[in-house]
Amino acid sequence: MQQLLEGEKELIIEKVGEILGKHGSDRENLIPILQEVQDSLGYLPGLSMEIIAEAMDIPSVDVFGLTTFYNQFRLNPPGKHQIKICMGTACYMVGGRIALESFERHLKIGEGETTSDRKYSLETVACVGCCAIAPVVVVNEDIEGKVTPTRVDGLMLAFEADEQEEEQKEAEENEEKGD
Amino acid sequence: MGQASTELYEKIKAAATEKITALKQKPVVLVGMATCGKAAGAEKVREAFKKEIESHGLEAQVIDVGCMGHCYAEPLAIIAKPGHTPLCYGYVDEELAKRLVIDFLVNDDPCYEFAMVALETNDVFPTFSDFPRGVYEQKMILEHCGFIDPEDIDHYIDKDGYAALAKILTLEPEEVLEEVKSANLRGRGGAGFPAGTKWEACRKQKEPVKYVICNGDEGDPGAFMDRSILESNPHQVIEGLIISAYAIGATEGYFYIRAEYPQAIRTIRTALEQAREKGFLGKSILGSDFDFEIKVFQGSGAFVCGEGSALVSSMEGKMGIPRPRPPRLTTSGFRGKPTVVNNVKTFCYVPLIMKNGADWFKSTGTPGSPGTAVFTLVGKITNSGLVEVPMGTTLRQLIYDVGEGIPDEKEFKAVQIGGPSGGCLPESALDVPIDFDSLEEAGAMMGSGGLVVLNEDDCMVGIARYFLEFVQKESCGKCTFCRLGTKHMLEILNDITQGKEKDLASLDLLRELAEDIKAGSLCNLGKTAPNPVLTTLRYFWDEYIVHITEGRCPALMCKDLIVYYIAPELCSKLCNVCVGSCPTEAIYTREDGLKAIDQEKCVKCDNCLKTCPPQYNAVIKLSPPEMLKEKEGGSAK
Amino acid sequence: MSKKITLTIDGREITAPEGEKLLWVALDNDIYIPNLCAVKEIDPPQASCRLCFVEVEGYREPVTACNLAVTEGMVVKTRSPAVDRLVKTAFELLLSDHRLKCSECPKNRSCELQKIAKERRLKLRLTRFRPLVKDLPIDDSPDTFAFDPTRCVLCGRCVWEDHEVAGVGAIGFSRRGIDRRVTTFGDTSLADSPCIECGFCVEVCPVGALSFKE
Ligand SMILES: Cc1cc2nc3c(=O)[nH]c(=O)nc-3n(C[C@H](O)[C@H](O)[C@H](O)COP(=O)(O)O)c2cc1C
Ligand code: SF4
Ligand code: FES
Repeated sequence: MQQLLEGEKELIIEKVGEILGKHGSDRENLIPILQEVQDSLGYLPGLSMEIIAEAMDIPSVDVFGLTTFYNQFRLNPPGKHQIKICMGTACYMVGGRIALESFERHLKIGEGETTSDRKYSLETVACVGCCAIAPVVVVNEDIEGKVTPTRVDGLMLAFEADEQEEEQKEAEENEEKGD
Repeated sequence: MGQASTELYEKIKAAATEKITALKQKPVVLVGMATCGKAAGAEKVREAFKKEIESHGLEAQVIDVGCMGHCYAEPLAIIAKPGHTPLCYGYVDEELAKRLVIDFLVNDDPCYEFAMVALETNDVFPTFSDFPRGVYEQKMILEHCGFIDPEDIDHYIDKDGYAALAKILTLEPEEVLEEVKSANLRGRGGAGFPAGTKWEACRKQKEPVKYVICNGDEGDPGAFMDRSILESNPHQVIEGLIISAYAIGATEGYFYIRAEYPQAIRTIRTALEQAREKGFLGKSILGSDFDFEIKVFQGSGAFVCGEGSALVSSMEGKMGIPRPRPPRLTTSGFRGKPTVVNNVKTFCYVPLIMKNGADWFKSTGTPGSPGTAVFTLVGKITNSGLVEVPMGTTLRQLIYDVGEGIPDEKEFKAVQIGGPSGGCLPESALDVPIDFDSLEEAGAMMGSGGLVVLNEDDCMVGIARYFLEFVQKESCGKCTFCRLGTKHMLEILNDITQGKEKDLASLDLLRELAEDIKAGSLCNLGKTAPNPVLTTLRYFWDEYIVHITEGRCPALMCKDLIVYYIAPELCSKLCNVCVGSCPTEAIYTREDGLKAIDQEKCVKCDNCLKTCPPQYNAVIKLSPPEMLKEKEGGSAK
Repeated sequence: MSKKITLTIDGREITAPEGEKLLWVALDNDIYIPNLCAVKEIDPPQASCRLCFVEVEGYREPVTACNLAVTEGMVVKTRSPAVDRLVKTAFELLLSDHRLKCSECPKNRSCELQKIAKERRLKLRLTRFRPLVKDLPIDDSPDTFAFDPTRCVLCGRCVWEDHEVAGVGAIGFSRRGIDRRVTTFGDTSLADSPCIECGFCVEVCPVGALSFKE
């Protein structure tokens, strides 16, 4: 499991506490609680699972079992840009795999992984319900249709441009601070 | 008691009708905003409509509706202007939206050149029933999808929504049960189990606390109609759920919807709140002594959770792992109490049956499978989208008349029906009528209603492998056959599609394993997982043989069995697009100016083939890869 | 006291309490039916190992004995070509995910897999399938025992003991499908888990996955 960054521990304790307070400690609330914690923190740090297990008075290994069972839960922080490639039947047949491989080539990571700078993560999903424009890729919350390798190149260029812009802004801000 | 509910309902209905009639006095623009519409850019279109209407100071309303089923033509908009036939426009973009406002709403030109279909019979423009699709399609549960505002309960009430609820509250629960039994409503979640029988089994339990759950897990990777219905007409499902609860004697209901469907969850939540406000939910529903509440549970994305006992287990905060039957869920389900789990579509039919009677329902479809079938028609098909046809329609009619056939002049090869538990049927099976029993006989399954059309470019071994990989990944891992058996099957199929398997005996092992997994698995995931492989072995045996003995993929789809090649006699020399399109710089210019591919670098991304201008079409795929030597040997001289 | 009923297993007439699961009735009467995951107290039974198939009159296909309640007049056959075929496949599937080095295994000669092989004349090696054994390390961090996940058959008996009998909650199932395994919270070593080394889990392990040191 992931090493926690500074200040993260306090944040986790606070957020999980809040969410637990809302729900009560009935076992039936376990999945809704985990969903909310993930929504709030972006992932489920080990510490959060331990706090939840303790509050619900169940073995922490059972919470771990649950979170490793379901597709929805992730135990590592996601990338800033989440790229999800649809592997539904219609998308797969017209090149979903090719789109996935293109992203893998660009990002040098495999399916289910996050780049080491935590900027991008790559996942596959089953049918997002837009088969008419297959193959489909979901980028953060936006749906991109008819994603050919050329389109992947385009998307990556757009990301990189965004990143550069942001870096520049940050640099400028830092400069201002430095003054 | 009794009559009070209908009187109360009539009042609610009158208010709703008044509101909707008033609404219709002004022009209304309906924009399809289900997930499929949004993906195609419907949000921008809606904003364009709004902006343009505002800038002209018009009194017209823009309303978000769900999915009409014509996903291929999204974004879709319907314009209803008093004095005109309501018209539906497809492929709407921001430009067209602006133009429609100016030409149609401001001036009086309906722009027929952009219209797709009229929604009411008229003398000028064709309606749905004038198209082949309209002849075969018969909308029962999709009737209002895409035409009413899912966020406003009054739209549904105006269409007689909740009238069935008001009516059944004057009946005894047993009478409701009898009607559903007599209608022979079979579950639409896959197996086709009679809903009435299930409800009765649950009703008979002495335990006073009972649950009814709407299964909206929809895990089939090629289907989305349940989501579409939840997003487009949530109240129909809710009404069905309430009526079923009354018949069963259930005290609490649940929607189980996967978290990947956020819009469906939001829509249902809003709808539940509105139903509660109107008195259709909660204590003393419509003044009767029937109390019922519905909650929403978000599934965490595991295909196996669509299986009833796994679904219940996940609602209890545990892993979604199936358990052996007996006991059935109707005896011991959620929290150990008698529980009924039905599919979204199954509930949708209930208000219609209670309103129009069992005989009305049985007059559509076949005697064994009355009613309609709803499919997501996708893949290599001209009109992809959501379709609803009477049971008994043949696959041929569905594909060629409703879906308008295979695009790009390609040859039909197979239709995959029923998703991972279903099978692939060939041309020769196209006259099989669509109903629960006929499909099962043919080796497929109604399944969830995913229907994927495959053409000559699709490799049947590859498709079988795809589905097997899916179930293998989604197996809960509890029982031996499914956990390990599907993995072994996948390994064999991987070898075949990668040209590593040279022994035909592997096909016997594949079939043996498939049969044992079917017979030995604990739940229906495992029991049906081998179906895609068994049907392709049965109908497309030759393709397996060619892969193994010749190392050739006839559909040119299996990556390891093909190479990309630029035919010198077709290449123009002067154009460079392929060189630029290659992500790995595998394409180079030979001394003679022709382009060629460095096979070592080629990652088979298909880009050059797609980008090579159509007047040359010089990039071709060869299989088996050895063909390359022949070609290159020939051209080098 | 529950009612007694009479049933026939392999031609033998047997009386048993009504509703008792067939597997236990058979075993109590010295009729062997292969099984790994069965624990009397687990209700409903896990029925996950899929080894206890039998033929019962009135059923079209073989059924698992561990979750079938006996009824008056039930007629059971523990062997048939269909049963033998399923058991053979299930057994070999389990072997394909089991590190097969019996001579080096602490449970050699007391292993349930060996017993099944002997009873049903099944081979203790792979004949049709390729090995799928995962590359997982042995955890010998506890003082008194060791856990070899590559020998685990996922019967779940240890998890039951840990949770319900010892009431500790150190081990449990995790993941899904082919990756399903018995592990600790966060896959730590047992020494770093709440394990109290009561040894209950080791005692019920039917194979060489959990074994006492020396
Ligand atoms: C692996 C698996 C997945 C399933 N997924 C779904 C699903 O997504 N939606 C659904 O309604 N039924 C699904 N089913 C069928 C349900 O188990 C159950 O039969 C159904 O919900 C009952 O409703 P019905 O009688 O209305 O069809 C699935 C079954 C299995 C074995
Ligand atoms: S058949 Fe598959 S999904 Fe069903 S219980 Fe067995 S392992 Fe789990
Ligand atoms: S003992 Fe019956 S399935 Fe394991």
